[in-house]
Parts: sequence; structure tokens; C-alpha cells
Amino acid sequence: MSGARRVGLVVRREWTQRVRSNAFRISTAVAAAIVVAIIAVPEILGADVNERTVGMVGVSSPQLASVVQATGRQAGLTVSTRRFADEAAGEAALRSGDADVLLVGPGALVWKSDVDEQLGAVVTSAVQAIEQQRAIGELGLTPDQLRTLRPVQVTSRSLEPVIAERSARLDVAIIGLVLLLLAISFYGGFLLVGVIEEKSSRVIEVLLSRLRPTELLAGKIAGIGLVGLAQLSVVAAAGLVALAVSHDHRVPTTTGGTIAWIVVWFVLGYGFYSVLYGAAGSLVSRQEEAQSMTLPITALLLVAYFVALQTVRSPDSTATLVLSFVPPTAPMVMIVRIANGAVPWWQIAISVLLMLATISGMVLLAGRIYTGAVLRLGRRVKLRDAWRGGEVSG
Amino acid sequence: MLEVRDLTKRYGDVVALDGATFSVAPGRIVGFLGPNGAGKTTTMRAIFGLVVPDGGEVRWMDAPVGPEQRARFGYMPEERGLYPKMRVGEQLVFLAELSGLTGTSAKHAAGRWLDRLGLGDRADSRLEDLSHGNQQRVQLAAALVHDPELAVLDEPFSGLDPLGVGSLAGLLEETAASGVAVLFSSHQLDLVEDVCQDVVIIDHGRIVLAGAVEDLKAASSRRSLDVVVNGEPWMPAMPGATVASTRDGQVHVLVDASADLAQLLASASGAGEVTRFSFEPPSLADLFLEAVSEERRA
Repeated sequence: MSGARRVGLVVRREWTQRVRSNAFRISTAVAAAIVVAIIAVPEILGADVNERTVGMVGVSSPQLASVVQATGRQAGLTVSTRRFADEAAGEAALRSGDADVLLVGPGALVWKSDVDEQLGAVVTSAVQAIEQQRAIGELGLTPDQLRTLRPVQVTSRSLEPVIAERSARLDVAIIGLVLLLLAISFYGGFLLVGVIEEKSSRVIEVLLSRLRPTELLAGKIAGIGLVGLAQLSVVAAAGLVALAVSHDHRVPTTTGGTIAWIVVWFVLGYGFYSVLYGAAGSLVSRQEEAQSMTLPITALLLVAYFVALQTVRSPDSTATLVLSFVPPTAPMVMIVRIANGAVPWWQIAISVLLMLATISGMVLLAGRIYTGAVLRLGRRVKLRDAWRGGEVSG
Repeated sequence: MLEVRDLTKRYGDVVALDGATFSVAPGRIVGFLGPNGAGKTTTMRAIFGLVVPDGGEVRWMDAPVGPEQRARFGYMPEERGLYPKMRVGEQLVFLAELSGLTGTSAKHAAGRWLDRLGLGDRADSRLEDLSHGNQQRVQLAAALVHDPELAVLDEPFSGLDPLGVGSLAGLLEETAASGVAVLFSSHQLDLVEDVCQDVVIIDHGRIVLAGAVEDLKAASSRRSLDVVVNGEPWMPAMPGATVASTRDGQVHVLVDASADLAQLLASASGAGEVTRFSFEPPSLADLFLEAVSEERRA
């Protein structure tokens, strides 16, 4: 019988034993629900995301309110107006969030803190239109004079996504990072527990009288990875469907692509870290000892996560570029770059190839450690002894 | 025929195997005996490639043993264990398939073995929900589910009650009768004597005695002498006598076959009333002690 068939049998066992469990079904459903909620809830709650309230103090024009509303509509905002008796009352409303901006007299806008450029422009142009109308009436201008006075129409366009879009994209990147961190540590942990279980239950000798250690390790990594891939795919698909159904214009256009790429980078990231988890698991015989073994691996994973979080601030920097090629950080940093905007295909290709090359190298190293350690029951096996023990067999 | 040839294995300063050589023929039940740490488990693990020997080789049907051969072997390791949370039936199917059976024949084989061991209704139970005795049975089924040509069982009788011992012995006899070569290790010498046809005795990694039990007994130049004397403590005054045990006036010694019985009986009668005097071919336990102590003297 071929080694491939034996590996396949191990993969199938891992798959059927895990997918059948209630824990798997429940955790998949919960994760999908969370992702859908993240995408859909602002849409549901946010019926008023485009609503603005303009407070007014000392504004004499009776038409201003209707002009502000009309100008707002053109900009896609539903603007309501509210008059206040004095500036203090208006500012109080501003602070409490009852008003988004306060127009004092005909010429001053007061904000709580951040300036809402869009709303500011709406109110400003409404005020200017009213004032212009009034001036035209007072001056008694002819239509020709009016044409001369009409301001030049200036159009504008942005080379890069506007700030709001950019920051929304990076929000998506951060959600992606968290998802990737959880998925890798989750499934890496499953592999670790699975490897130790075979030692602690002593089934390992029964198995290894039938197949090679490397075949068993490969089957376990692939089987658990497939379960993870399936779970993540279900979650990603739920996210994509939620995205398609909700037509929220604030969800960045790159979100769909980012979600799809998260699945790809999970496979590579899981491949990298699971090999480490598998080798670490083979060194101990009891679940209680697992904690100490995984500490360095979990630390590496967390470092990669925090490094990737830093790159969110400067997704275009050289450091980010470099980190997106370094295997331990590449899966996460690439997610940040992909979420931020187009990454040249050849850069992704190089990063994937580097990742694959590193993983195959590590499979050889980890396979040797696993082979040398997995049959040694009892005391924790020293890395050096495992390395020596794994030399001849395989 | 399984041939173990000149196996050597060292763990640092400890010599586990020191040129172990023996064979197991199809249809024979071979008892593998030796004191703790003699190298029994190491030898068995070497047969399955779980230990890589420093020297020597294992051959099956005149070919070196590799994955292809091992697929036709069955192994019950000293450290018992299967997946605790996996269903018994699925577990056996999985192991049978790993040994090369197709899905369908693996299912048939698992069902057949569970029925044979009286566990037909437990196929869907998790292993951990079974009693200790039933878990042992599943472990045996795991070793034999793919109908191996060679069964290697490390201490299969340990932890079994007398009923379990009886049924396992019967099963091994049936298995061997169907042409399977059976090698099993044990400490219980009386049991081995009842069950097996051949023995291999190992000590300090060397085979000190091997062959058919009857032949070894017949070929022995020693005899087992059991004497019970009511009176003074008595001991045969004879060169070459090995004292196996003394208790409550009962003396069990090994003497040369040429010993002068009349003189021995007269000497015992001088010490008191002789209520028992037996002179027989040595038991397996005698052969074992003799072989191991000779080995240690040498």
C-alpha cells in the first residue's frame, strides 16, 4: 500500500472524527454569525448613518432650513434643522450629540470636536446660496451680470482612496488579522492536542506499527487543516453573502477580496505554525505539559500579530513591504496590504512561494524531531535527543 | 518464517540487544521469555521498525522486513492504547485499512472480530465507555483485525482474569492453527508451558535457550527433584545441584540426570520421614532459571 493512501486514511479519520462533533458545528455557526453581525449590524442599526442635525442660532433667513435640507439631499444626507434660543443652548445640544454642527449667525460653524467636512460643505454652500440670492435682489443685477458673477465650477477627484475609505479598509484588515490569529492558534492547538493524545493514550505504537511517523504527522496536519479550511470557508462565505446583501456604501470595495485572501493565507499560516505545534507536541506525553511547549510558538504567533497591527498604521512603508515576505509575519502582513489596496500579483506570488519553501524545509526538520520523539513515552524529550533519534528512521 | 538475526541495540551504556537470533515458524505459538529488561520489548519493537537496531536484521519469508511485510504483521504493544473517544468499530476499520484492507473488507473484518470477541453490540460505543476487560479485547482485535500472517503480542496475558486467560489461550491456538506465526512474551511460565509449542528465552539481550518445549525438556541433562521431609532440614549433598526453592521442608532442586537416586533417597530418609520424592524432566520454569542463571555465571 502506498504512503499516500495511508496519509489519506489519517486525513479522513481526522476529518470525520472532528466534523461530526457538536463542538465543530456550534463553533462554525457562532463564528459565521459573528462575522455576519459585524457586517450587517451597522447596516440594520445604521438607518440613520446618513442623518445629520444642524443647529441654528441667530439665523434670520426663513428659507435657510429648506435650502440646507435640499443641498444635503444632493450630497446623500438627510439633514434636519433645529433652532436654539442662544449659543449656550446650541453648544449644549452639540455636546450631547443632539446636533452635529451649530450654525451661529450667518457665518460661523461650531463643531463638537472633529469637523464633518461633508456636512460643513453642505451648510456652507446653503448659507452662500441664500446670501448670494439676497445680494442679487438688493443689487438688482441683470442676467448678464449674474452670469459673470457665477463662480467657476471646479471639479475634484482623488488619486488614492479618501481617508474614510482607507480607514475602513484597515478596519477590515484588523478584523482579518484577528480572524487569522484565532484560526491559526485554534487549529494549531488542535494539532498539538491531537499529537499528545496519541502519545498519552499509547495508541502511537499501534499506529506506527502500520505507518511511518512522517506519514502520520502529515495526515494529521492535513486533516486538521482541512477542517480549519472548511470552517473558515463557511465563515468567509457567510461574510461574503452578508456583504452582497447589504449595500452599505461604507464597506470598502476591497472587503470581498480580503475575505477570500484570508482563507488562502490561513492555509499558509496554519501550514507554517502547525508544523511547529506538531513537533512540540511529540516531545511531551501528557496534555498538562503542553502549555510549556507551546509558549515559544504562541509567542512567535503573537509577535507576528502585533507586528502586523503596527503595519496597519503604515501599510505602504518599506518595512511593511519587507515583512510581507518574511514567513512568520507574511500571512498577517499580506492581509493588511491586501486590505489596504491592490498588491502586485507578483509580490503575492513571491511571498506564497517563500512561504511554501519555508514550510517544506520545516516539514523536514519537524518530521525528524517528531520521528525521534513520538515513541518516547514518559518524561519530556529533549529537543537534542529527539533530533538525534529521528536521524535514522523515517 | 520470521527470522531475527543477530540484532544489536545500545542505549548509551546500556546494552538492550546483544546479537539476538531466533525464528518463528508459521502455525507455531512461540513463548518469548526473559527477566525484566532482558530485551523482549526491544526485540518486538525492532520487528515493527519502532526501534532501529544498531546491527542485525529481521527477515520475513526470506526478505528483509519493510513496510510491505509489516502490513501483514499484527502487533499488540506492551503499552496498551487506542483512541479513547473513537467508536470501537470505526477504530478497527481504520486500523484494518491502514494495514492495507479495502474499506469493505475492513468493515467485514472489524464486525467479524467484534462478534468473535463477544463485542458485536458495542461497535458504536466509544472505547472509553467499555470495561477494562473489553478494552483489552478490542486491543487484541486491533492486532489481529487484518488477519496478519505474523502476530506479535507483548504480554497479552497480563491483567487478565483466569477466564480471560483461558479464552485468549484458546484464541491463540485457533489463530496458530490457521497458519499464523504467533510470538508472545510473558512472565507467567506455567501459562507459557500450557499454551506454546516453542520457547525463546532471552537474557541481557542474548538468546540463551530456544526450541520446542518438549525437545528442550527431553534434551536437558538436568532433572527436577522435589523432596518433602518431615524432620531435620535436608539438602542434597551433591555437586552441580541448583537449589530452585526451599519452603516448609519442601526442597526443589535441579540435579544432573545421572544422579544416584537410591543414595539421594537414603540421605533424605536419614533426615526424617520422606512424604514426597519426585524425579522428573525439568519444567519450563526450571529450564528458564537454569538458562538465565547459567548465562549470568558465564
